[in-house]
Amino acid sequence: MLRGSAKSSPRRHRRGLSDSNYALLLIAPAALVLLALVGWPLLKLLIDSLHTGSTFDAGGRRFGGLANYQDLFTDAAVRAAGLRTLVYTVIVVVAELGLGLAVALLFYALGPRSQILRTVFLYPLMIAPLVAGLLWRFMLIDNFGIVNELLTRVGILRDAGDIAWLSNPHLVLFSVAIPDVWLTTSFMTLMIFAGLQSIPPELLESARLDGAQGLRLLRTIILPLLRPVIAVALIIRGVDAARAFDTILIQTGGGPQSASETLSLHIYKTMVTYNDPGSAAAMSTVFMAVMMVVALIAVMTLWRPGRES
Amino acid sequence: MSRRTDPARRRLRRALLWLLAIAVVVAYAFPFLYLLLTSLKPATEAIAVPPTVLPHRITLDNYITAVNRQGVRASFINSVTTATLATAISLALAIPAGWGITRYRTRAGRIMLAGSLLVRMAPAVAIGVPLVGILGAVHLIDTPTGLALAQTTVALPLSIWLLASFFESVPPEIEEAALVDGCSRPRALISVILPVVAGGTAVTAIFAFLASWNEFLFALLLTSIKAQTTPLAIANLQSQFGLDWGPMTALAALYSLPAVVLTLLLQRRIVAGLSLGAVKG
Repeated sequence: MLRGSAKSSPRRHRRGLSDSNYALLLIAPAALVLLALVGWPLLKLLIDSLHTGSTFDAGGRRFGGLANYQDLFTDAAVRAAGLRTLVYTVIVVVAELGLGLAVALLFYALGPRSQILRTVFLYPLMIAPLVAGLLWRFMLIDNFGIVNELLTRVGILRDAGDIAWLSNPHLVLFSVAIPDVWLTTSFMTLMIFAGLQSIPPELLESARLDGAQGLRLLRTIILPLLRPVIAVALIIRGVDAARAFDTILIQTGGGPQSASETLSLHIYKTMVTYNDPGSAAAMSTVFMAVMMVVALIAVMTLWRPGRES
Repeated sequence: MSRRTDPARRRLRRALLWLLAIAVVVAYAFPFLYLLLTSLKPATEAIAVPPTVLPHRITLDNYITAVNRQGVRASFINSVTTATLATAISLALAIPAGWGITRYRTRAGRIMLAGSLLVRMAPAVAIGVPLVGILGAVHLIDTPTGLALAQTTVALPLSIWLLASFFESVPPEIEEAALVDGCSRPRALISVILPVVAGGTAVTAIFAFLASWNEFLFALLLTSIKAQTTPLAIANLQSQFGLDWGPMTALAALYSLPAVVLTLLLQRRIVAGLSLGAVKG
């Protein structure tokens, strides 16, 4: 099937270049540039991770073998940052999936005439995460944030200071996830809505005639059919959430008391604030390796791009 | 519900669903509207306690203040320069690569596609941190070129995926016909095949441009003053002057309006691009 469109043309041996060599020639520049721009930094990362000290230190950099990695695995701060990254990712993905599914079902129930609403709903797709983070920080600020003000006006809160979204260490990991959820629920809705549209209406109709309604219809018919779409959306969003940086940095800088410091922020701080490139490189290497393994397993088992036509 | 329910109840149910959907969309649109509304308030009202939703007085003062802050106008020029460069590099490389992948379906093409996906999933901090030293060594630190090269690691894999998908719609016969007419294969790609996917190429260019335009981590690590892009200028407006929310919301609005307007105008094409890039590959 993969070779379906690669029919050999009568001219394929023009100028002695075979199809596959010509394809290679077309692909090579992009491959070389990516290799240089990504491969080189990753190689340097690996080398840096084996050195201790900073170039700015009096003693300069020294080869330290696996010392940075040993420190890494015994460092409670790294473990905590790793755990926070995991919790943050789960919060973001679960919230987006729930909201995205609900909104997509709502639009689906309304039929084609929901077009205008769907268009408006897509608007945050291309807003910069930095702006989203800043905006929500503004809206969640303790004393003059509009969110608490509105919650007070409708009677949910007694006082606008009742919820300290960004300064309560127990709450902050949820609060910093809000801009991420706000930005990408559109994407989730979009994917699930597309998935819903590809379900044959007759299938739903016959299930309805069999008496399946509401939640049962959702659980037994719709969700199983949406599985592939949801799997892809979850992989993409999960990977992106685990890497989240801009939104969190701009909202809290990782605080209070490091309560929102995920791995990306911890690595950034180790590099820039504590000027410890060796540790930062070792952490990045491990983070990178874990992400690649997780992504590879997820892609191979759930997604398999290019396998189906 | 079942089709046997009476029409009045069905109509009521439908009206309620519409109401719910409108409420959801309004709530979802509120944050950005609030950004715009705040940017139009006088600077003191923007941080009033308790906050107001609608401005008591509409003024462009925040915009004037923001645009006159040091480095802000330069940051817009830097953002446009950097994003244009990153887009040009990505398209120049992704057009041949995407065609090579889709038209010939070789092993190398599949490896390239999978490699691009993996690169897209790499944590930016792992690439950005070593790039500080590398760009420093080749004197490209704090330059739009250096930043554009770094952002190419994001824009190029994205462009390859998108273009490889868009090229699927081109029948191989088009290339064959061009070859029969005496075109060389590169010539056929540029003047015959590319026009067929002009829409898809434009969408790819927009995606690449916005990927760079919205990028923050590389800009933070790899630029300081000279090549500072707008997201940095926005972030600095905040730290440098305390919580200077009025001008900050104005600058944030100026910076994100093009992205929002593009999304709404090109909705259909952007949706096609997103779902192609995400689902089909």
